[in-house]
Amino acid sequence: MLEDKLLVLKCRRGNRDAMCRVYDKYKDYLLTLAKGLLSEQAEAEDVVHDVFVAFVRSAGTFALTGSLKGYLATCASNRARDRIRAKTRQAEALDSANPPVAGSRSPQQQAAEVEELTRLRQALRQIPYEQREAVLLHVRGGMKLREIAKLQGVSVSTVHGRYRYGLDKLRSLLNSEVEE
Amino acid sequence: MRPAENIERLIENLSDKTSARMDQRVRQDMLHALAESGKPSALIQPKIGRTIMKSRIVKLAAAAVVIAVIVLGLFEFIGTEKTSGVVWADVAQKVQASRGNVVRCRETSSFQSNEDDYSIKYFSPTHSRTDTYKGGQITQTYYKDLETKTSTFVNHTHKHYMSRTFTPSKGGFLEKHGDWINAEYLVQTILSCEHRILGQKAIDGVLCEGIETTDPACLGPLPGPVSRLDVEMRLWVDARTNYPVLFEVKIHAEAEGKTMSSECVMDQFQWDMELDPSIFEPNIPPDYKDMRNL
Repeated sequence: MLEDKLLVLKCRRGNRDAMCRVYDKYKDYLLTLAKGLLSEQAEAEDVVHDVFVAFVRSAGTFALTGSLKGYLATCASNRARDRIRAKTRQAEALDSANPPVAGSRSPQQQAAEVEELTRLRQALRQIPYEQREAVLLHVRGGMKLREIAKLQGVSVSTVHGRYRYGLDKLRSLLNSEVEE
Repeated sequence: MRPAENIERLIENLSDKTSARMDQRVRQDMLHALAESGKPSALIQPKIGRTIMKSRIVKLAAAAVVIAVIVLGLFEFIGTEKTSGVVWADVAQKVQASRGNVVRCRETSSFQSNEDDYSIKYFSPTHSRTDTYKGGQITQTYYKDLETKTSTFVNHTHKHYMSRTFTPSKGGFLEKHGDWINAEYLVQTILSCEHRILGQKAIDGVLCEGIETTDPACLGPLPGPVSRLDVEMRLWVDARTNYPVLFEVKIHAEAEGKTMSSECVMDQFQWDMELDPSIFEPNIPPDYKDMRNL
């Protein structure tokens, strides 16, 4: 995007307002991704924090070849993966916070959607990380499969498989809960 | 059984918002990181030009920015018509003969946040200085010495400065700033454009006469093809003194399926002033750091 390219140029010149603008523009997007990948609110916030601070530190030499949004999403994903790897068998408590639901709905509808999204988060936690990453980055992050393939260091067909398997597994998990 | 599309839609509904506490923490740490790294803005300027040139629309956007800024070389903006009370050739002569000028400049654009409120620009035949303000505080000062071909940028916010030499433009797009404050270049450019007389109107109680051009050629060579380019430039001069009073420029462009617009208004002109030469000497407080050493 044109605005992003100009923002990056300004960030490279040490423009404080431009950096804050980048943060304001993508903070919620990255937090949603990070939380989807990690499930834990505090950890997701830390990832977003680290991504933006690192962005500022590297802004002087930063060269944007693709989209800024994609770049930041990739950074967040890498950092989330590092955290996952660092705590191999961590007992992860599900985030008890209710996910916000957009739009104007009746209280009953809102409650139903919150419950559904909570179950989705629980289901996301149960699928393999690579599949979760592929699904989230593609569907919620808007990244192309080839971009995710580059990020994961695998072929596009592998990512496509992970995406499909991930989606199928989610569907299976959600449906099984419904059937129960 | 849920179809896959439903799952995708559900995932799309995932939405988390940062808290005010988190915003404060991240912003604080970002600014701290910025202060620590002390971004060497001027040091990387050569790369900025190359980055801009990678995209046609960015080139155009940059063009608009440069044009909006450089049009401050407006004091050479003239016309030749003699069909009204104002003799536009006299405007040209008076403007070029002016010993020193001061102007306020306000800019807005669709592709960047309006970071600064306005700037005050001082010109002499051999020097220029631009003070930029935000919230009543000076944020930047830019000095240009055409004799020594030296420019000095002082960032008061970050307490940084940097001086560098520049070479005259030889047709390079981003370097047009140098040309636009060159009277000959500007006169030739403006005179070659189609324009029309706007008639008279009072501006701040002063009877003025205007001239307008919508000829895109007034922008000079563009960095690439555009699908649409609308330009409006209006100059109003004092009908009594023949000095410019107000300059307005609007640019709207479309290229590569994207649009951008930019506006610049210059007013509060002061003409033929004897400016103290010391205002053009870079004033760098002792606690400011040279960006080259950061």
